[in-house]
Amino acid sequence: MRVRIEMELEDVPGQLVKALEPISKFGANIQNVVHQRERKTPLGRVPVTVIFDVDDRERLDRILKELRDSGARITLVGEREGMVKKVVLLVGHIVHTNVRDTIDRVNSLEGVRISDLSLAMGGAGEESAARIIILADNEGRAEAALRLLDEIAAEKKLLVIKEM
Amino acid sequence: MRLVLIGFGNLGRGLARALLDKGRALHSSYGLRTKVVAVVDEYGAAVDDGGVNLRRLLQIVEGGGQVPDYPGGKREKPAVEVIEEVEADVVFELTPTNIETGEPGLTHIQRAMRAGRHVITSNKGPLVVAFSELERLAEESEVEFRYSASVGGAIPVIDLAKNLLAGNEIRAIRGVLNGTTNYILTRMSKEGVPFDVVLREAQELGIAEKDPTLDVDGIDAACKVVILANAILGMDAKLADVKVTGIRNVTPEVTKLARETGYTVKLVGVAKPDLLEVAPKLVPLGHPLAVGGTLNAVTLEMDLAREISITGFGAGPRETASALIGDMISIHRSVGAR
Repeated sequence: MRVRIEMELEDVPGQLVKALEPISKFGANIQNVVHQRERKTPLGRVPVTVIFDVDDRERLDRILKELRDSGARITLVGEREGMVKKVVLLVGHIVHTNVRDTIDRVNSLEGVRISDLSLAMGGAGEESAARIIILADNEGRAEAALRLLDEIAAEKKLLVIKEM
Repeated sequence: MRLVLIGFGNLGRGLARALLDKGRALHSSYGLRTKVVAVVDEYGAAVDDGGVNLRRLLQIVEGGGQVPDYPGGKREKPAVEVIEEVEADVVFELTPTNIETGEPGLTHIQRAMRAGRHVITSNKGPLVVAFSELERLAEESEVEFRYSASVGGAIPVIDLAKNLLAGNEIRAIRGVLNGTTNYILTRMSKEGVPFDVVLREAQELGIAEKDPTLDVDGIDAACKVVILANAILGMDAKLADVKVTGIRNVTPEVTKLARETGYTVKLVGVAKPDLLEVAPKLVPLGHPLAVGGTLNAVTLEMDLAREISITGFGAGPRETASALIGDMISIHRSVGAR
């Protein structure tokens, strides 16, 4: 998952390196660091935004604990857009049942986007198969998208194959 | 230990062969001497208080004969009479599964328990139809009741969860519980062969039944989900509680689309307190459940141990005999400890 942390660091040398160390130590992959020296807080701290990819919630929790223990003041832990990815297969008369409508309905959900669709067409009159990749802002929105897909599939008589 | 075998098909004969192979080892390793005092098939019974000669009985039946053709055999002797009349410690109930009524296995098991016999079964029917009733009856009758062979063939998933992982709260059980469908999905995925063709091939190889409905529509897997939910999660589930989708609509194209993103399609059974389900699912390649061929696999999810997976052969007379013999030794141990 992709995570965004905003924290405030003491304005003394070496603080940024100290703050980044636990993140890489637990195997997270840092994507971006914004060190905003010009936006010091009234207490003289420097806001820093770090964006990184981490495998699971448990590692994230360990990173956060270590950061707090080291004296960093964490002001926000957020999930960046498109952080949750779901792969779904559909089987059935996907094109005939208006694939455009299927995509539009899923995309109409807030914080959900279909980022990829691959279609394997069956022969004339036969069923086809499609792979859809859904990106959602968080787990809850991803679940909502999957529920909606279940509804659409029931209505259009499609088989939905989800991740285990 | 005096044994009665009800049912002498593939599994019954597999057990007889394993008993012949293992006779000595059972005695030297476990102090267990076994004697089969009666065998029953649909045509009648072979009863011998001194012990049925299993080698001879196997020869007769494999030569096209029937159990009552055994010397002194009793034609049309009903199983229930044998269960009640023949003095025995353990009754093996190995008749074919009937998922609607559980019969005739259900009656066999009930009569055996009431007569004070321990029961070991591979039969999913009675377990799906009347699990909690049978557990209760076993307790009231003060007999042991084991059914390892009913789920996952040789894989000791029930014992693993109930005994070796005791102390854990088991939160979910996921499994590839049907070898036939796993064979079909594996071949489709590896060679791009369509469903109908692989199914026909599987039938020729004896991997799939002539009527493949129970397997390919996910019903066999659903029965196993019910048994796992009841035996391990302590639920009182019935077959109707399981949401079932089979694999008839899965095509080679579907497996290809899955593989391109690092997944394989498996018929996965899920038992959780809030969900009982069998459906084709995307399993990450390299996951313990991504097993090929006719293999079965089960993953247990727990609070302490987190995840434990176990893989093995889910069917076959010799593999199933492993579970039946294991249950028998387990009864020998717990009864001996009383």
